Amino acid sequence: MTEIHIDTWLYGNLAVYGGDPNEHNFANANVPLPEGSVLQDLLNSLGMKTEERGITFINGDLSAMPGMQPDLDHALKDGDRVAFFHLRSMWPFQYRHGVAMIDEMQSAIDNSEDMGLRHAYKLPDDD
Amino acid sequence: MFFVRVNMTDRTYSVTDVPEKYKHLAGRGLTSNVIADEVPALCHALGPNNKLVFSPGYTTGTSAPTSSRVSVGGKSPLTGGIKEANAGTSWAADLGVLNIKALIVEGFPEEKGKFWGIAVTWDGKPKVEFFEATQYAGKPLAEVHPAMYEKFGEKISVCSIGMAAEHGYSNSGVAFNDQYKRPTRYAGRGGLGAVMATKGLKFIVLNRAGAPGVEIVDKALFEEGRKKMIDALRTHAITKPKGGLNSYGTAILVNILNEAGGLPTRNFSSGRFEGAPKISGETIFEKNKERKGKEVYNHNCSPGCIIQCSNTVYDEKGEEITSCLEYESAWALGADCGIDNLEDVAKMNALCNDYGLDTIETGVAIAVAMEGGLIPFGDSKAAIELVHEMGKGTPKGRILGAGAATTGRAFGVRRVPVVKGQAMPAYEPRAVKGIGITYATTTMGADHTAGYTIAPEILGVMGKQDPLSPEGKAGLSRAFQATTAFIDSSGHCLFIAFAILDIATGYQGMIDEVNGVTGNKWSADDILKLGGDILKVERKFNEAAGIGKEADRMPEFMMKEPLPPHNVTFDISDETLDSVFGEL
Ligand code: SF4
Repeated sequence: MTEIHIDTWLYGNLAVYGGDPNEHNFANANVPLPEGSVLQDLLNSLGMKTEERGITFINGDLSAMPGMQPDLDHALKDGDRVAFFHLRSMWPFQYRHGVAMIDEMQSAIDNSEDMGLRHAYKLPDDD
Repeated sequence: MFFVRVNMTDRTYSVTDVPEKYKHLAGRGLTSNVIADEVPALCHALGPNNKLVFSPGYTTGTSAPTSSRVSVGGKSPLTGGIKEANAGTSWAADLGVLNIKALIVEGFPEEKGKFWGIAVTWDGKPKVEFFEATQYAGKPLAEVHPAMYEKFGEKISVCSIGMAAEHGYSNSGVAFNDQYKRPTRYAGRGGLGAVMATKGLKFIVLNRAGAPGVEIVDKALFEEGRKKMIDALRTHAITKPKGGLNSYGTAILVNILNEAGGLPTRNFSSGRFEGAPKISGETIFEKNKERKGKEVYNHNCSPGCIIQCSNTVYDEKGEEITSCLEYESAWALGADCGIDNLEDVAKMNALCNDYGLDTIETGVAIAVAMEGGLIPFGDSKAAIELVHEMGKGTPKGRILGAGAATTGRAFGVRRVPVVKGQAMPAYEPRAVKGIGITYATTTMGADHTAGYTIAPEILGVMGKQDPLSPEGKAGLSRAFQATTAFIDSSGHCLFIAFAILDIATGYQGMIDEVNGVTGNKWSADDILKLGGDILKVERKFNEAAGIGKEADRMPEFMMKEPLPPHNVTFDISDETLDSVFGEL
């Protein structure tokens, strides 16, 4: 089976999933996956639960926010850049208003009650 | 409350009751109205007819959380239009406690090259004394601030201007003390420091001893509002203790904007900087932990702030390089100049504070000069030298000190990221289009603080338009700018907006606090209208100054040059931009 490689960026405490358990700042890992993998497969390969991540990007397109993760079945291609942020990261609306998103995120937002003006910052306390 | 007028022509002052017309105003609403009424729109910003107005917000000086903000207003030498810049500082709270609704600096001294300070105390009403301050000119601010504490005692607060202002730079801020007596809190944007310098005024020292404090008309309502606000700030993930801002400061946004392709890099030629993680909030936090041997959470810039977002950057020996390094500063002095050396970025930030420069305008001007070939992108040591040249006032330094637009002209650069002459902050408008609309249309020149969001159901904008459509974006920008104008008047730090966007009771809390202090019965609708009225006054001033809707535009290169990695241009139509205020 052909392999694809995912340029994976892990920020804050998620950096430990890049291989070094002492790294809490950022890590950049090149993760091999079988062709046809989706984002959930990448999480599995990293050993990271989906609840541990917050804001997520696929090739610079917003794909998930805390409390809104429509990207789990998103198909990945060779060379994709995927970035996972920790739950204490933030991106207030006025600084993200009108940014690029994956289609799944766009329709999740269109169908949400407030059209993405707010999003749940209700998180399990990670302190 | 009083109006205190300080006349620098003959160094006299007057204290009067607040004129009827201004009684319902505070903060930005007050500074902008006084400027519009008293300053001829076509006057030279550095001439005798400009004025500088300081006003605390409605709740400033009370126990309302995160409310120690002061607005500074005048005609801007940078944009040529009206300007309000604000800062969080104990000076703001003291102004409120001294019952000063507006401190208006006017007149023009005959003698050049001389500076004075004023000391304001309480003697049944505010009392002003003048002192000679020429001996403090030409020195870094960190050196001269301690002299004020020696002279007037420990319990004072200090407003000052640095060498950038003395040189008359359009890039010069008004500095205020932080909680550790350092001159690091700036009403930075738009060159108001230079306006203060033309008045020959170097220091405004406040001593609140014996002053009565802010009168609160409806104490019960105020307490109720205060509680709602505290609850909102303490529960929201961004604003709560050890939350996003308290842990990582605003520099938390570096990595996020970088991944989103919206971190302007090397003079706005790319939206992604390979060195971004090295200058991020996460890196500051981790390095501090290593260097101090423990987790370092952020502190408050001013009394009563419970968000506490101000970080400190320490060097390898654990000694402080600078505090605080905001996202916008880390970006301007870092990514925009192609610099990824955190310590050098922090050093430049410290120098900006010392010389009295606005970090955003400084970084963007240096990046434009880099593009013009003055020094290479990424050369942090040469960039530090340029900041020194700005402080010293060498010819090169003076070009940079005039701001990014002038620097572009001097070096023949076409890619100059300014609106109305003011440098754009750290959010690439081609990638973050919503903020681009605000950059283009705000009265202040490109400004990221002009359009903060608040609970949308309160704004009444929900359910009417798709916020992602051009009309929806224009409508939101208008509502947000109006609300922001009001928050800037409330005395609260804008960062409360993060919490009150998501927690509607927090927004009501702000309204209750203001109504409690003033005795008004304003509703959420009234507040939107009051904010809108402020914008109208500001836009009218700008129009009279020759800055009409034709100035509500992005620089041409943003419409033409696709920005990597998304390869997008700024494609919001002129009609959409005009509709932001067409309906005000
Ligand atoms: S949130 Fe930050 S900037 Fe605002 S008042 Fe508090 S410490 Fe100052």
